[in-house]
Amino acid sequence: MRLDYVSGAYLVFALIMAWDFIAPRIKLAQVRRMIALRIRRETPRKTQ
Amino acid sequence: MTVSVNRLVLWFNKTGSPPNFDRFAARWTPWAFATAIIFMAAGIYGAIYSVPADYAQGENFRILYIHVPAAWMSLFIFVVMAIQAFIALVWRIKACEILAMSCAPVGAAFTLITLVTGSIWGKPTWGTWWTWDPRLTSELVLLFLYIGVIGLHNAIEDRRAAARAACFLALIGLINVPIVHFAVQWWNTLHQGSTIRLIGPSTMDPSMMWPLLATVIGTKFWFIGSLLQRARAMNLEQESGKDWVRKISESSANEA
Repeated sequence: MRLDYVSGAYLVFALIMAWDFIAPRIKLAQVRRMIALRIRRETPRKTQ
Repeated sequence: MTVSVNRLVLWFNKTGSPPNFDRFAARWTPWAFATAIIFMAAGIYGAIYSVPADYAQGENFRILYIHVPAAWMSLFIFVVMAIQAFIALVWRIKACEILAMSCAPVGAAFTLITLVTGSIWGKPTWGTWWTWDPRLTSELVLLFLYIGVIGLHNAIEDRRAAARAACFLALIGLINVPIVHFAVQWWNTLHQGSTIRLIGPSTMDPSMMWPLLATVIGTKFWFIGSLLQRARAMNLEQESGKDWVRKISESSANEA
């Protein structure tokens, strides 16, 4: 069976789909971190 | 009829509000991805192990089980993006701006898959990785349009103004969609014509059809999942200063 072109094509498909799945999750995590930081900055610190 | 239309408009307005959209996206994204993975896994398994090799193309025809659904998605997503862009420009609905802009990277991903897998299929079949054939060239223009929409959206600092400019480009770019689709009929091209038709008989043998249908359905659900995921991130980013974001962020921090 000549699967070299076929496996190459499926590998490209898997890689691009993986990027499409992971990239927005990284973005979402970054946004959540940014929001958490903002909340921490804006919350007045307790004075000892 | 009027009652059902009103209900639909009411549902759309409710879901379109940023906090409701966040809940909606968070709830349905895993389901969309799970359905997509089930259908695509079945389709790819069928494409590689179940269907016989093609009499003319041999094993390489198995590439078409990912190339064709990706090509259909590249056009379908552009149409969805243009519809959302039109609604966003005319009625100034923020959720539609976010959805339109979130369509672009998913569409670009499917267009890239189409071009690369088509090129890999073309080498053993046509004897070349690339040719300036009307179908291939118009698909490449489609990729540039997606990149243009993404680039324009990121180039302007004011998020609403950026989305409006990019929505305008998406609407102009819609002219390329029929060019891609009808390129094989309008010009004398190397690319083959439609094998599967919605109206009229398809030239693909039914025994070879089911994996293709599975991957087509799978890619549709994948688009829903990816769109919701991207739109949720963009929605949270744009609303990051609002009280509802603070509340959900604090409650999730307390839960953790």
